[in-house]
Amino acid sequence: MVLNKRQQFVEIVFLYLALGAGAVVMAIPLIYMVSTALKGQVYVFEIPPRFIPREPTLANFIEAWQSNNFSLYFRNSAVVAVTATLVSVLCSAMLAYAFARFQFPGKAPIFYMLLFTLMIPGLMLIIPQFLLAKTLGLRNSLSGLVFVYVAMTIPLNTFLLRGFFEQLPRELEEAVLIDGGGYGTIFFRIILPLSQPALATVSIFTFLFAWDEFTWALTAIDVEAKRTLPVAIATFHGAHLTQWGLVFAASLIAMIPIVLLYASLQRYFISGLTTGALKG
Amino acid sequence: MNRALRQQQIRVAYLFMLPGLIFFLTFQIYPLIKAFQISLYRWEIMPGQASQFLGLANYLRAFQDPIFWLAMRNTALYTLVTVPGQMVLAMVVALALNRLVWGRVFFRTVYYLPVITSWVVVSLLFKFLFNSQAGLINFVLKDLLHLTPNYIPWLQNPGTALIAIMTLGIWKGIGWSMVIFLAALQGIPVELHEAAAIDGASRWQRFWYVTLPIMRPTLVFVLVMLTIGGFNVFIPVYLITGGEPMHRTETILTYMYNEAFNFLDFGYGAALSYLLAAIIFVLSFLQIRFLRRPVEF
Amino acid sequence: MNARKAFLLLIVLVVLALVVIACGPAATPTPQVIKETVVVTQVVEKPGEKVVETKIVEVEKVVTPTPQPEGPVTIAFWHAYNPVETEMLTKKVIPAFEEKYPNIKVEAQAVPYNEFRKKLLTAIAGGTAPDLIRSDIIWVPELADMGALVALDELMPDFDEYKDQVFPGPLSTNYWKGHYYGLPLDTNTRILMWNKEMYEAAGITEPPTTIDEFLAVCEKIKSLGEDKYCFADGGTYGWAVLPWIWSFGGSLTDPDMTTASGYVNSPATVAAYEFLKELLDKGYLHPGILGGGVDTSGGYAQDQIANLLEGPWMPAIFEAQYPDKEIQWALMPAGDGGSISVVGGEDIVMFQQSQHKEAAAEFIRFMLSPEVQLMMADVGQVPVRMDVTDEAVQKQPYFALFFEQLKTAKARLPHPNWPKIEDLLTSTGQAILRGEKGAQEALDELAPKIDSLLATD
Repeated sequence: MVLNKRQQFVEIVFLYLALGAGAVVMAIPLIYMVSTALKGQVYVFEIPPRFIPREPTLANFIEAWQSNNFSLYFRNSAVVAVTATLVSVLCSAMLAYAFARFQFPGKAPIFYMLLFTLMIPGLMLIIPQFLLAKTLGLRNSLSGLVFVYVAMTIPLNTFLLRGFFEQLPRELEEAVLIDGGGYGTIFFRIILPLSQPALATVSIFTFLFAWDEFTWALTAIDVEAKRTLPVAIATFHGAHLTQWGLVFAASLIAMIPIVLLYASLQRYFISGLTTGALKG
Repeated sequence: MNRALRQQQIRVAYLFMLPGLIFFLTFQIYPLIKAFQISLYRWEIMPGQASQFLGLANYLRAFQDPIFWLAMRNTALYTLVTVPGQMVLAMVVALALNRLVWGRVFFRTVYYLPVITSWVVVSLLFKFLFNSQAGLINFVLKDLLHLTPNYIPWLQNPGTALIAIMTLGIWKGIGWSMVIFLAALQGIPVELHEAAAIDGASRWQRFWYVTLPIMRPTLVFVLVMLTIGGFNVFIPVYLITGGEPMHRTETILTYMYNEAFNFLDFGYGAALSYLLAAIIFVLSFLQIRFLRRPVEF
Repeated sequence: MNARKAFLLLIVLVVLALVVIACGPAATPTPQVIKETVVVTQVVEKPGEKVVETKIVEVEKVVTPTPQPEGPVTIAFWHAYNPVETEMLTKKVIPAFEEKYPNIKVEAQAVPYNEFRKKLLTAIAGGTAPDLIRSDIIWVPELADMGALVALDELMPDFDEYKDQVFPGPLSTNYWKGHYYGLPLDTNTRILMWNKEMYEAAGITEPPTTIDEFLAVCEKIKSLGEDKYCFADGGTYGWAVLPWIWSFGGSLTDPDMTTASGYVNSPATVAAYEFLKELLDKGYLHPGILGGGVDTSGGYAQDQIANLLEGPWMPAIFEAQYPDKEIQWALMPAGDGGSISVVGGEDIVMFQQSQHKEAAAEFIRFMLSPEVQLMMADVGQVPVRMDVTDEAVQKQPYFALFFEQLKTAKARLPHPNWPKIEDLLTSTGQAILRGEKGAQEALDELAPKIDSLLATD
């Protein structure tokens, strides 16, 4: 294989060039979005387009944040996403614990029901959910968003957590029972602390889902004061059709938490994706 | 196990399930049943008006509705183009990244960024890029590469609008499949490849006869998930074309949403939802049933 | 607290939260059916004579009870005012109202026009309709027909005072099956907005008065360059195509809205569509009419588009966005049918779901007062009160041309199925302009479809 040394070098260079070209194509739309957000309205439709703005300005960000209520929408999104994540992960963990450790009548049907809902389109239920929210007085309220997001994320979270819990050793739990502790102690003192990586993963994906969810929020909320970021951005675009700089500034503000989350917890993103897939 | 202990265990299990099940039953299972009921009615929402039982008329109406078939065709086309598009490109990138010594995390992050960006944002972004007057895509095609003599009105024509939407679908999805493929590739024992290489297998043969069969469950999982996602396409269509022009870019879910919330025809909307769910269910079942395990000879 | 207690507490909290929410106050009070005695005067025709009979009958009415306001109430008002108008509304009009009525707070919400109808219908279906909206005049029949609106002539004892003060044309858009469901807020129409700099560059001195002259203008404008357009419009919906159809002498239906056959496919209507197709094919008409949006104001301001059909709100927008560009106005070019444009405008209507009908009625009165009508005229809203027109024209001289055009302008079909009819009309227009079908063929296919929508009532 001596002959291959030179070949290998050429190949590696080629690989980096190809991957680099691909990366440029992948990144250009996002880079262009950033540069447009930094442009004044007169430069947005300039030909030829510039990636480095002629007179970069933060005016769009300031205008979106201050005079267009984006601070309020940001807070709404944060409240909804954080609450939905906490409630969903806790409920899912409790469900998963029951499935992983107990035998009870109805276990299989309930579990298959959870799996089944993973397959149906989330949007399919929007009409009855809309009527239900109306009956329960949940329209135009952030809790209406939270409840539906929790319900929609429980199946996948439960499925992933059950897989994790089943692999945990049982000896510690038996020790707790012998010492006179209850199942609550086991769950909170042993299962949850041992499952931090799995909990982090499902929390991230639940948060991401709730932060980005658009259609239910669009349908459930009609007052301005309760809008979340995705709906606010789309509505904002509807009202300022050609003011792309402002629209993208608002979009970038909405992306900040996600990017921070990704930057700090990258490995959980990756492990979350792969646990589901590799187990098949 | 004695009876009392068993009873206690059952009680504890139900107690643990209670909060989650309340959410799940109220906001998932009940709506699932309710949707079917609604689909059998001409559903009235104004107080004082009675809903009228129609039997299966809403479903029959769909089969005779040209816009339904158009939406069906577009949804299927979107899935047929974007699912293989994402998988092939993701596989190419994953194979390349798997050979890298350094820079893997950097490239993985760049390819993964579109995945974590919200659908609303990227849909508006692509609407901007494909703008007919001064969009970046038109600039590159006409002024930079001179591939087209004129600016193309991408979003004004149904065919080109679908191309823009499908490009978005592929661009946004590559990173997701790529990360899964990369993890699966890293799980393949090096010895297998070495053994095959000693047997004189070419690189292509090793990919075809060693890598792909080992990755089969992963590939099927990704295929099933992406197919479900493809049939559920909604936000990009809703925000980029809204189904226009002339309903030619309508997909099942945009048509359903429009019928339900623009014309308040909840019965028909619910029927469209059920038809879509049935299609997805059958497709997923067939994919898992026939692709999961290798064909036995 | 030990883990087990914490856990039990949590379950209790979740269940409680659900129970509380489920039993919380319902969003709307239940409508009640009440029996009411009314005096009915009717003209009975008997063979040979007409007799006016008065009798007392008992009728059933669906009424949503309105609680008497105690202390301050808040009413929600949705509108699609543009940003300039919105600023006038929220910075001047509403503060003035709240000063006059300290017990009523107005929560104004801007909803983009394109999403307005969908958002509104969703809210009505969800039981959370606003108290009032500024409704496009074409939505009123549909909303009234579905039973969502309050008949203002029943609710407001002083309705006639307002009715007699406003122009009859805009007022008529509030009428549906025996009742008035709203009052007009503003009126408008589209007239020719021509670009002096481009005309001069092409050697033209006067704006066109006829459609033939319009074509001649377009020919010269095109010679300025490939990227210069004579005309642009946002699509093939009624608002865009009807001025051409009517000015060519065509129409959509007979005057009584019973049939479209023979009208929407008449030679004059066909000629109007063929004219638009010719404009597009020759490059006079910006391809943005095929959908996807075109920045018509920007194109005009940057001397790329020579003519638009626009409304009275444009000067205020230009003042804010393109202060250096001057706007010129002229009447809609005349064809065989004359110079006929389309009536636009907005009505203010109240919803049955409103909890504060009295307070909402006060706001309607306020919006129709001469002071507010004149305030809104400052930002380009043509008033509907007859007693302020002179003063409005003094403030905004260009209003005169709009009043002139309004004398002959026609309304889109005041029919509850108009949204569906317009959906068909838009698609047909697209098919014609894209050359997929001949105008005659496409309109022949359209006619029976509109006929059936006119019949189902």
